[in-house]
Amino acid sequence: MRAQLRAELLKQRSTTTSRGLLAGALGLVLFAVLLHGLGLPAEALGGTSEQLMVLGRGEFLGAMFAALLGAISITGEVRHGTIRPTFLVTPRRGRVVAAKVWASALVGGGLGLAASVLAAGAGTAALRVRGIDVQLDGGDYALLLAGGAAAAALWAAIGVGLGAVVRDQVPTVVGICAWLLFVEGLLVGDVADVSEVGRFAPGALGEAISGQDPAALLAPALAASLLALYAIAAAVAGTLATTRRDVV
Amino acid sequence: MGLVESERSEPRNTSATSPVATTDVGRRPSAEAVAPMPRPPRDPVVSVRSLTKRYGEVVAVDDVTFSLDAGTVTGFLGPNGAGKTTTLLLLLGLAEPTGGDALVFGRRYRELDDPARRVGAVLESNDFHPGRSARNHLHTLALAAEIPSSRVDEVLALVELEAAADRRVKGYSLGMRQRLGLAAALLGDPELLFLDEPANGLDPAGVHWLRTFVGGFAEQGGTVLVSSHLLAEVAQTVDQILVIDHGRLVATARLDELTQRGRTLEDVYLELTGGPS
Repeated sequence: MRAQLRAELLKQRSTTTSRGLLAGALGLVLFAVLLHGLGLPAEALGGTSEQLMVLGRGEFLGAMFAALLGAISITGEVRHGTIRPTFLVTPRRGRVVAAKVWASALVGGGLGLAASVLAAGAGTAALRVRGIDVQLDGGDYALLLAGGAAAAALWAAIGVGLGAVVRDQVPTVVGICAWLLFVEGLLVGDVADVSEVGRFAPGALGEAISGQDPAALLAPALAASLLALYAIAAAVAGTLATTRRDVV
Repeated sequence: MGLVESERSEPRNTSATSPVATTDVGRRPSAEAVAPMPRPPRDPVVSVRSLTKRYGEVVAVDDVTFSLDAGTVTGFLGPNGAGKTTTLLLLLGLAEPTGGDALVFGRRYRELDDPARRVGAVLESNDFHPGRSARNHLHTLALAAEIPSSRVDEVLALVELEAAADRRVKGYSLGMRQRLGLAAALLGDPELLFLDEPANGLDPAGVHWLRTFVGGFAEQGGTVLVSSHLLAEVAQTVDQILVIDHGRLVATARLDELTQRGRTLEDVYLELTGGPS
């Protein structure tokens, strides 16, 4: 599988897709963090939980773009037909999916880390500029960064699995964005009755891993274990879907 | 290499068997004449038995049986939608048969240990990422197949794409894409080639190069199955033909048998596939 992993990493390096996704993630992180950090009234930014929420935009957007990166690693091959030469060279398709999971987790994890570092830096700077006391300690920052990387790596794996099941690029990409930006927002936040369920949703688990909203969300370690289960389930579903269907 | 063409003009077979519906066609007599010692009988390189593929109500391939011996070049002919590409996808393990077997080297493609070193394929679909360079496209395949990267340079030189190798494929002409597809197929130095419309978009020099290449490849014991609509080109390149129509194999024969009595390949083809006569 090492050969396939090296091939997948070269595939990610040799087009502009990964760099485009990284640029998109970082741009949106900067926009979101500065919008919140500079735009919200000072009294809404004083507490630890509020500050974690602002700096946690790095994790959230990092995870979303990592999921897109994972999904496109397979839907892009379907779209351009390169899935055919890929499967001709490696007819054991499970190996291809596994290599995509690991390669995307690696690259996606890096993307998540970069997004989290940027969010932490820009968010802290915005608070300081406005003279707001930063309530976060070293442990909070460490969790934001490590959790941001871990959540993005796991979400990248989920993206690969989803992409392998759906195969069509546009519905996969739209589905991931719609789920994280709208559907989960309703589940976790605004609809009180479902928030008990909502904190087990994969996007909320990603936020929990980076230590956000500890009152409502699960503990980071538990959240990481559960999100890993989602990732494994997605990878297994993607493998089954890929090995059983024709490539046309 | 005029050798290939001069061979083609020689009469190959004087047997009086029916030109149509010969199931197993022998290997090239010229290959045997050249070989200094008799080769032991070998299993066919490609073995297709009662192969059937249905997509819902549509029967794309219908009970097709044929086999190909080492050292032969076989033309795979038939109208658009006749089932040629589907048969190739089944042979390459990209689609699963509804019934029957499609074997290469006696096994299903997906069970081959090192498929890139045994089988090469150029598919009509031109499968490249437009934003990736030719060199990187070949490197991704070489890495996955554990083929040394020096081989990438070799195949780029072979298809004369070195100068454009670091450009993105999106700027390539159709002919350049075909040559890149061929480079990818040859990466593992395979013994068997499946070529789906390989002359599409090639300029006359490219077509000549391809014809020479295919002849030389078979000369060294390689086996080629080439689908094409260019009958005049096929007539110059192949030893035998398979004609498929509406998913069914309607003819399997040596080229020289089919075109006896002054008939051209086009006459025979149109008669078999119900085209204008």
